[in-house]
Amino acid sequence: MELLGLTFALFGAALSTLLAGIGSAMGIGIAGESAAGVMTEDPDKFGSCLVLQALPGTQGIYGLLITFVVLSKLGVLGGGAAVAVNWNQGLQIFASCMPIATVGWISAIYQGKASAAAIQMISRKPEAMGKAIVLPAMVETYAVLALLTSILMLMGVSLG
Amino acid sequence: MGVAELKKAELYYHKSVRDDVAKILQSSGACQIIEPSGDARWTDVDSLLTACGEQETHIRYLFRSLGNHYTDPISSIDRMLGEKPRLSLKELAQAAQKTDLKELASSVKMAETTLNELRLEISQLKANAGILSRIADFPCSLDVLGNGTRTLKGVMATLTVDQATALAGDLLPWATGTELFTAARNPKDKEVCIVVMYARAHEQKILELCVLNGATFVELPPHISGTVPEESAKITARLAECEREEAEILRGLDRTAEEWMPVVQQASDHWGILHDRYRALAASDATDSVILTRFWIPTEALPGLQKRLELAGSNTALVVSDPTEEDAPPTLLRNVFAVQPFEILTGLYSPPPYGDVDPTPLLAPFFFLFFGMCLGDAGYAIVMMAAIWMLFRKYRRIPQTVKDFILLFAFGAISTLLYGIVSGSFFGDFIDAFPFMAFLRSTKDALMLVDPMKNPMQVLGISLFLGLAHLMFGLAVGAYDHIRRGRYVEAAGDKISWIFFIVGLALYCAGLSGALPSFLSVIALMMAAVGGLVIFWYAGREKKGIFSKLISGFLAIYGSTSYLGDVLSYSRLLALGFGSAVIGMVINLLGGMAAGIPFVGWLIAIVVIVGGHLFGLAINILGAFVHSLRLQYVEFFGKFYGGGGTPFSPLNISARYVEIAESGE
Repeated sequence: MELLGLTFALFGAALSTLLAGIGSAMGIGIAGESAAGVMTEDPDKFGSCLVLQALPGTQGIYGLLITFVVLSKLGVLGGGAAVAVNWNQGLQIFASCMPIATVGWISAIYQGKASAAAIQMISRKPEAMGKAIVLPAMVETYAVLALLTSILMLMGVSLG
Repeated sequence: MGVAELKKAELYYHKSVRDDVAKILQSSGACQIIEPSGDARWTDVDSLLTACGEQETHIRYLFRSLGNHYTDPISSIDRMLGEKPRLSLKELAQAAQKTDLKELASSVKMAETTLNELRLEISQLKANAGILSRIADFPCSLDVLGNGTRTLKGVMATLTVDQATALAGDLLPWATGTELFTAARNPKDKEVCIVVMYARAHEQKILELCVLNGATFVELPPHISGTVPEESAKITARLAECEREEAEILRGLDRTAEEWMPVVQQASDHWGILHDRYRALAASDATDSVILTRFWIPTEALPGLQKRLELAGSNTALVVSDPTEEDAPPTLLRNVFAVQPFEILTGLYSPPPYGDVDPTPLLAPFFFLFFGMCLGDAGYAIVMMAAIWMLFRKYRRIPQTVKDFILLFAFGAISTLLYGIVSGSFFGDFIDAFPFMAFLRSTKDALMLVDPMKNPMQVLGISLFLGLAHLMFGLAVGAYDHIRRGRYVEAAGDKISWIFFIVGLALYCAGLSGALPSFLSVIALMMAAVGGLVIFWYAGREKKGIFSKLISGFLAIYGSTSYLGDVLSYSRLLALGFGSAVIGMVINLLGGMAAGIPFVGWLIAIVVIVGGHLFGLAINILGAFVHSLRLQYVEFFGKFYGGGGTPFSPLNISARYVEIAESGE
């Protein structure tokens, strides 16, 4: 039972990469379908389509980032021994991972939809690239806020 | 600075100098032609426009057809960065006029038609060869299938093995008058190819039996009349001949493309420039001998144009006036060197209407700062600077718009370097992670002013404070704009009141937390109260009845929550900067772990660290750009700026494939 805390914490770490990664994969997939459609008509749009397609990818990176923060906090990186975590602390770390895991997951999907629409927009109005980048970024705000919350929460959990 | 002053110009000139004047207007690059209202049109240029259109049709066709056979020796990136052949307008015109585009297009079209016919024939030959291969062991002449004899006729068909057996059974009663040939087949094949030969007298019945048993007839063209080996040899020979011809035509097209594409590109620029010029003339009014062209021109460009017109002769008269209330002049942004690259950001949103405040110099310092905070790594900044330096070293003729864009990132890199030093981030924690960097540790630590990793609350506070400053600045600009237009009530009620209210509340909160002396918090509270009262009054001032006045007032005060959201939105400055630092840290960690692998570890570590940081750089630049931009567009512009102007787009000499040498007509 003394490893229960570590397990909770690792579970949280896994979920942040896992859920945020799933969300980003879906979001990029949705945007990619739209980009492929536009590029069959106009292959020259590859550059701008790629930028717009990449936008929902950040959530996966945010998730990974939190995972690494947790892992380094737990001391399990690089094959060292893990620090002692009681189940209370383990649950606290688990809770800290939840904002980026869930918001990252869902916001990436919606950002993917916004990106897909933005890609359609630049297919007709290439000069609107600036606006097309900003619209999906509006969705990302909430992933950034969730990332911030997760970071601040993790900073607040004291181990040892 | 800001929005350049424009004049409305009316240029009267005699028809005899039409082309000279049009050329001067175009090469000045400073005149945006005003389309005449009503249907005044000068039809003389219609024929010229049609001629341009015809040439451009040929050019489009040639680009489309020869484009597949041509690899441009200048890559599109090189071209974008200004690596184009340099020609004067005269040389361009000569190059274009010595080429008969129509002739070229028709010869290419002919080659393409022949090519298509050949390809059709090749596909037919291949189909026939396929059919013949299925009855390779058919012993008779194939004429029996095509024409038959007076009494005899054959038919070829495919059907499944079971159906073939059934058909053979059904044909038994007719055995004397028919013959069934079954081609040899691969045991795996489910279908079999048969030839039924029959007496013409029984034709109808036999064909009916075939159909009833599910046979699909295969038609061979009647000219295939020899035996299978003879015909196969013929087809193979013809196929080889066709393929040889096809290759020959393709080689010819490649040669044509290589020889003519550069010329066609030049012709494309030449006719494009002429097209623009004639369109400007088409937008003029004319009498029998005088033409009137109206255009917008920046005041600063006026003397230069007047001088050039005077040199051209005395047959012109330029009348200049200020824009009136009814006019909607376009917007030309003019800023000092350091601010000019940021005009791109204003342009991406929407330029201000003529005569309004240009937000570029206002957003520039904030974008500069925010970009640096979001990317926030001295190592990344050095990589960016090195890349930009190399770009400028390699390409000497970068067009202004592209140069501005690169300079924007150069400014971003400077700010990133500064914030990276202040926050102690160099490729993440590269200096701390690797022992060989230890000599830099003391320098790094001495220069650090903030530490987002250990004390994120400090950076969060700075981010929110910057946000508050940014928003209040936006409101102050809005207030200034109202006052400039004499709308004092709006300035006080909609902008200044909010500044008082929010700054007051913020100071009061700071006072409560003990950051400010207590006597200040009384002043702060008074500020907030005054601001709040004005907001309350302003919202309800046009409502009738005390009740609806009260509701509007409370709603307006409740609107302050949006300011809370706006300020919190700046927390992304911390989050993104922290994100870059942690991604860097992760890459260094992975690199360090890879270095532990025996023998090849150092190599893997280099690949991981270099590749990882390049990836991190790319993704973080995108994030820093997008989020810094959003803070300008949504939070900052929301307080005072709506855009809605049309960008100034003068008649100019714009060439895509060549660079027009400045001198020389």
